[in-house]
Amino acid sequence: MDRDGRIMKVLNVLLPVFLALLFGAVFIAIAGENPLTTYATLVQRSLFDFRGLMQTLHFAAPLILTGLAIGISFKAGLFNLGVEACLLMSGLFVAVLGFRLGHLPSPVLIPLLLGAGILVGILTIIIPALLKAFFNVSELVVTLLMNYAVILLVMYLATYVFRDPSRGYISTHVISSNAIFSRLFGTRLTLFFFVALAVFVLAFVIYKYMRLGYEMNALGKNLQFSEAVGINVRWKIVTIMSISGALGGLAGAGWMMSHAYAYTPWFSTNPGLGWEGLLISLLGSESPLGILIAAIFYGALKYGGYTIARYTSVPSEIIGVIQAFLILFLSIQFIRRHRLLDRFKGWFKTDKSHTEEGA
Amino acid sequence: MDFLMSVLESTIRFAAPIILCTLGGIFTYKANIINIGLEGIMLFGGFATALILYFLGFYWLSVLGAVMAGVLVGLLFCYFGITRKGNFIITGFAINLLAMSFGFYTLALLGRTDIPVVRHRATMIRLDFPLIRDIPYLGRLLNNHPLFTYVAYFSIFIVFVILYRTRFGVHLRVTGESPEAAKAVGLKVDRIKYIGVVIGSIFVALAGFNVTLEHLGTYTPVITAGIGFIAIAAIYCGRGSPGASSLYAILFGLMRALSVRLSLMIGAVAGLFQALPYLTVIIILAVVAIIRNQRTNVRSYTHE
Repeated sequence: MDRDGRIMKVLNVLLPVFLALLFGAVFIAIAGENPLTTYATLVQRSLFDFRGLMQTLHFAAPLILTGLAIGISFKAGLFNLGVEACLLMSGLFVAVLGFRLGHLPSPVLIPLLLGAGILVGILTIIIPALLKAFFNVSELVVTLLMNYAVILLVMYLATYVFRDPSRGYISTHVISSNAIFSRLFGTRLTLFFFVALAVFVLAFVIYKYMRLGYEMNALGKNLQFSEAVGINVRWKIVTIMSISGALGGLAGAGWMMSHAYAYTPWFSTNPGLGWEGLLISLLGSESPLGILIAAIFYGALKYGGYTIARYTSVPSEIIGVIQAFLILFLSIQFIRRHRLLDRFKGWFKTDKSHTEEGA
Repeated sequence: MDFLMSVLESTIRFAAPIILCTLGGIFTYKANIINIGLEGIMLFGGFATALILYFLGFYWLSVLGAVMAGVLVGLLFCYFGITRKGNFIITGFAINLLAMSFGFYTLALLGRTDIPVVRHRATMIRLDFPLIRDIPYLGRLLNNHPLFTYVAYFSIFIVFVILYRTRFGVHLRVTGESPEAAKAVGLKVDRIKYIGVVIGSIFVALAGFNVTLEHLGTYTPVITAGIGFIAIAAIYCGRGSPGASSLYAILFGLMRALSVRLSLMIGAVAGLFQALPYLTVIIILAVVAIIRNQRTNVRSYTHE
């Protein structure tokens, strides 16, 4: 991609962020607070404070994974919106296994549980994947509806089958201390963040250097072409959906073992780590590096949301409002073709012929 | 018999908002736009209804509020999806999130967990037809429903007429099927799409009114419970024909009614039965797609 394309891409992300914060400011004002000082508190607490920054990274960890999960499927032209379902299923089963297998030592138990989470994630997404691959059933509608079914199923299991009766609210047993990622440097950060980081590196390598990355791109750009050059489209769809589900499952397992420790109805927070993954993959324009940055940005926003709820009268629900506006503005390309860029260029007097690439 | 009657009666009630959503979605479907924001438009409709009833308390004003909410959100969708040529799947998704987060934020500001409008149910309009009332069984099923439940079923006919018997309907379908042809004969494609989406959004917002006031008597940001997505499945199964799609909507309403009635009878596993409607929708969707796929009988993988 040429330099202009890159500048345009960055502007197309920064402008929606700015606009979403602007609209969020209106809602903060409705709550009777000064938007500027509120945002200042948010940034101060979540980025310019060591403990706060570690909190931000802690919140970013599952978001990196769900962002990649959705980014990978979008890249291949598949609308997998079932990441939330994978995450919930994996969270519940890891909670149960983390309690039942608590006697195993940490070095065995933690990888085992992460593996179990991945497996549950794949199993959750496999039916929509097969339906899409072999019968061309819209994966968008199926995965969306599956979320509702899975939420009810998981709630049922947590309420009646795996419930810890000693707790006053719906919750499974707390997982064994052997299954918990220990905290680092006395902060909220755990090893799970580095697991997510490792997955990011892996995704980066696959996108850039491996055949699967190329095939994903081809699939997303032109299905007929992909098939014509000999890609087995059906199995590729199943593979990519499975990877997506696996990442969702891993996110659920990690979040359970680094933050939640027991399955409760608010395990995935509001509006849900899987949904936030959608925002993050859009914000990161589906590239792994972009997703990493977006996840950390959103982690800051999320942790900042809790802090402003504590220090001001703005409810933490404001983050949901900003998030929705952000997705809305990200759905369009603000700068199309190079019209605006041409104007910038006129100011800086560089003459380079531009292509339509990246427009 | 009593069980059957109660299931059928609930079906009529549960199917009404699904039908309204389906019909509304058909307008965008005919314009060749997938609107996954139905859920959000419906939620905004319910939100406007609840706010107006809670703070002001006028029935017709709340109907108007729902309609206005539909128009505004429809225009928002159009601006982003059509004028700005955005990815309308993501625009639709943003509208869903916007509707939910507006609701949660407002509830947090009000310090409430819901906006109750139960006390206004006394003033809501129910239709009582003396002729039907006295028919055994049928009277109990069909009589004395709230106004917009009847509106939903009557709308099937209205939408059919708009789409197939008016000039606008022809234009809308041409625009969706072949935008080049539409442009070639001088139609203002974008304007037709705008009108289509906005009309559709009004139906969808009325589904929100129907659920909020006429069914639940309360508003929370989760009252829509996936009806918007179920409607999309109904549209897909019925290929966008108002009659066929509405039949699927009624079928999905039946599933909902069954799950509610069965869970009342069974107790503890009730939670699982609530998942039944979503699972059956997925199964029906898959079956319809499989049958269609066999008919087309193509050599390779094809994308719609």
